[in-house]
Amino acid sequence: MNTCVILAAGQGKRIQPLTFTRPKVMLPIANKPIIEWNLLKAKKAGIKHFIFIIGYKSEIVRNYFKDGSEWDVHIEYVNQGKPQGTGHAIGVVEPFIDKDFIVLSGDTIFGSSDISNIIDKQESMGVYEVDNPEEYGVVEIQDEMVTRIHEKMQNPISKKINAGIYHFSKEIFDYIKKTGLSSRGEYELTDSLNNMIQDISIHSIMIKQWRDIGYPWDMFRANEEILDEIEPVINGNVEPNVTLKGPVMIEEGTIVMNGSYIQGPTIIGKNCKIGPNCYIRPYTAIGDGCHIGAATEIKNSIVMNNSNIPHHNYVGDSIIGSGCNLGSGTKVANLRLDKKTIIVSHYGRRINTERRKLGVIMGDNVQTGINAVINVGSIIGNDVSIGPGTIVQGCIEPNSMLF
Amino acid sequence: MCGIIGYVGFRNARTVSIDCLKRLEYRGYDSAGIGIFNEKIQVFKEVGYISNLEKHIPHIKGCIALAQTRWATHGKVTKINAHPHVSNNEKITIVHNGIIENFKELKQELISKGYEFKSETDSEVFAHLIQDCYKDNIKQAVYDAVQQVKGYYALVVLCADEPDVLIGARKDSPLVIGVGDNENFLASDIPAFLKYTNRVIYLNDGEICRLTSKSIEIFGNDNQPLKREQELISWDVSGAEKTGFPHFMLKEIYEQTDTVHQVIRGRISEIQREVMFPESIESIIKNGSNDIHIVACGTSYYAGLAGKYLIEQLTGKPVFVHLASEYRYYGNYNKNSLIIGVTQSGETLDTIAALKKAKHHGCKTLVVTNVIGSSATRIADGFILTQSGPEIGVAATKTFTAQVLVLLLIALKLGVFNKTIGADSLYQLIQSLKKLPRVVQHVLDQSDHIKKVAEQLVNAHSVFFIGRGINFPLSLEGALKLKEISYIHAEGFAAGELKHGPFALLTEDTPVVAIIGSDETYEKMVSNIGEVKARGPKVIAIAEENDETIKQFVDEVIPYPSNKGGLSCIPIIVIMQLLAYHVADLKECSIDKPRNLAKSVTVE
Repeated sequence: MNTCVILAAGQGKRIQPLTFTRPKVMLPIANKPIIEWNLLKAKKAGIKHFIFIIGYKSEIVRNYFKDGSEWDVHIEYVNQGKPQGTGHAIGVVEPFIDKDFIVLSGDTIFGSSDISNIIDKQESMGVYEVDNPEEYGVVEIQDEMVTRIHEKMQNPISKKINAGIYHFSKEIFDYIKKTGLSSRGEYELTDSLNNMIQDISIHSIMIKQWRDIGYPWDMFRANEEILDEIEPVINGNVEPNVTLKGPVMIEEGTIVMNGSYIQGPTIIGKNCKIGPNCYIRPYTAIGDGCHIGAATEIKNSIVMNNSNIPHHNYVGDSIIGSGCNLGSGTKVANLRLDKKTIIVSHYGRRINTERRKLGVIMGDNVQTGINAVINVGSIIGNDVSIGPGTIVQGCIEPNSMLF
Repeated sequence: MCGIIGYVGFRNARTVSIDCLKRLEYRGYDSAGIGIFNEKIQVFKEVGYISNLEKHIPHIKGCIALAQTRWATHGKVTKINAHPHVSNNEKITIVHNGIIENFKELKQELISKGYEFKSETDSEVFAHLIQDCYKDNIKQAVYDAVQQVKGYYALVVLCADEPDVLIGARKDSPLVIGVGDNENFLASDIPAFLKYTNRVIYLNDGEICRLTSKSIEIFGNDNQPLKREQELISWDVSGAEKTGFPHFMLKEIYEQTDTVHQVIRGRISEIQREVMFPESIESIIKNGSNDIHIVACGTSYYAGLAGKYLIEQLTGKPVFVHLASEYRYYGNYNKNSLIIGVTQSGETLDTIAALKKAKHHGCKTLVVTNVIGSSATRIADGFILTQSGPEIGVAATKTFTAQVLVLLLIALKLGVFNKTIGADSLYQLIQSLKKLPRVVQHVLDQSDHIKKVAEQLVNAHSVFFIGRGINFPLSLEGALKLKEISYIHAEGFAAGELKHGPFALLTEDTPVVAIIGSDETYEKMVSNIGEVKARGPKVIAIAEENDETIKQFVDEVIPYPSNKGGLSCIPIIVIMQLLAYHVADLKECSIDKPRNLAKSVTVE
């Protein structure tokens, strides 16, 4: 067993606007794409050979990983073609598989010890316990064997859900071929699994680490979990009179200027310009080539590559896409005055995020003018221009101009 | 126009080929076929849509295939004529898009060598010719074969003796390589394989490529290997049929460089100084008649009106143009008349009814249409195809241009028969025709300028189009284009008629588009514009590019390239299509599907 198949073809509509410009698996968590975390963790569990099933904006995945030699692994790519469900996606790789293999969902970050356990057990699948099983596939288990998977049960019979990690033998392909279209019009892997269970027993393996990214704001939890594990490393250039508290990771080429106050866990990427006199608070991930300038405060946020938050800004509980530039004085609100949980209008749907604090979800290449104000729970599409003094709220379509 | 594809990889080739073909259905859909290698080459063909083919193919294995969707130009729409074609030893399978000009000679030669032809198509020549050239290397055989062929082609070849290799070759017809992982594609157009890969390599004229699932090799004209970088396609599958254009209409406007090429190809000869139609058509034109009646509806009617000016000017023969819906009831049918029906779809009910009635009265009938096998082609004594490929935008663009050009070719042929065109002026016209693709491209390059001018019309409630001579029917067509897609009221007038009534409607808020020819009416047009300007509206002139004087009389000028051959009508048509398109686009109208309109009108 030495092959790991990662499902990376998804478009990630629920994570728009961030996925208008990248596939879901390339969303950065603590400065690395989701799929890279899975690659690293699977590699730690002993895997050297990967097959990425790609589709939507596949060139971004391919250009990032190339043949995998930079990670000391071998990566092969297979284009899913028409997206027709998870079962179809796995069916596509059949010609490249010669013995058993493991499969990871691309939108979930797994732990390496869990991956090891799955590798060790032929014909197995990962199971995870959650509080809201009705939103997932509920797994019925008897004596550690899976007896059935129920999709989105109204009244779940258990809290154990399908974690989206499997160890299959080649037999799975026969069951995928026999599976018909589901009511959603897709070839569902769970339908094939339910058929397979009749003939071949599948072990359930309880897993400990599982972070799935369903909506943009789910990225905060994943980011926190990974940042909690980082060690303090300073590779950049830190000037005198900079305060670093807790685990702070600063990568090469970055300069942190006088008077900056940085609280970990926090990660700052390569070639950034930080400060002088800025305040970076815990659980912040700043990508490569960013500029965080004077009198700016950032808290619990993900800032992607080449974005500037350069003067007099406040950004809290927010995700800022790559290539953004906030004008001087642009501020993001992250807490309702009545302190209630924040409801987001996400492309025509109103969703309760169950978060008391949430700032903005900002797509790539957004420019804001001076003193623009962004209200709690705003969704801003990519390539949006916001004029000076403008108040922004709700869901803004890509390529809009607001004045 | 046809669509061809080739696939070599790891997926089920049947599924992939059908899937890719469906994305090329816009290039033609009268018959389709597929050849798959599974122990031996298996070929399946059906008449009709690709979905019909899909129903009839069994589920077979095989990871290498070629396929075609056909839009017949040579030979009838039958199962035998559908591609792929197979060589006599059943080893070589080909799909072809294009025309082999020396196919009669090649066919004779191959028959004398003992090859047996099954279909009426020119394409079958390739299958036998490649078999004839084949020793042990299919790439070499294809290279040797295409050296003997005159004409144009996009070709995909599969050989049973080398069942993991796909050969592609092209000259003047499109063929693109799709670069996948452990699989590769060939197709007439990128949308075919865009679902599977967005990396492409463009093949140039005269080049040959050799694909396996893991490798791509390209060979130049001289059969030497070439290096070529792959490019990334940024548009997505939903915009794919439009190949990156926001609307089908704009795509079809831009296709007109090719349309012009398609219409004249094989019909004019620069060397022999000749216009050529099949014999049966020539005899209809020659022995036609005392007079000519053109019968049509809508845009085709305006093409007919433009044809009237061309035919009368070049032959001196009287031409009458009729609306089909009127003519079928109130027309005067004389058995010494030639009736020319003009219909894009060949299914326009009024035009067909008029043709039937004319035939009943013993008139000679001829049809100008885009669809072979359509009702009109079966009713009329003869038909001439506009060869423009399917048109999807409801507003006719490339087919109008093609219709006008076909009528011009008829005028030239008739002029030669009646000796009203001298050899020199024919030669000059043929040369102008050859230059047309470049002239059209020149107009397309001005699109941004035309868009700026279009801003002047966006808020108008009413727009007048005026012109004299052939520019009068062009005014009518310009007005029709504008009203049908932008919903702005627009009328076309003969410039001299303005003062006989329409002037009453002219206010400051009625922009006027004036088409200015460089003939003896130039001065008259200038004074017409003067009269218009006196009432205050903005005037947009469409004028010859070296006309400097007109600028002082008008607000905006859109220049068209000078053309001594008198073929300025084609660039003017393209200008007006772009103008209407940009106005509608600025108004955010539903351009490809205007309200209340349908592409093919088969009701009364």
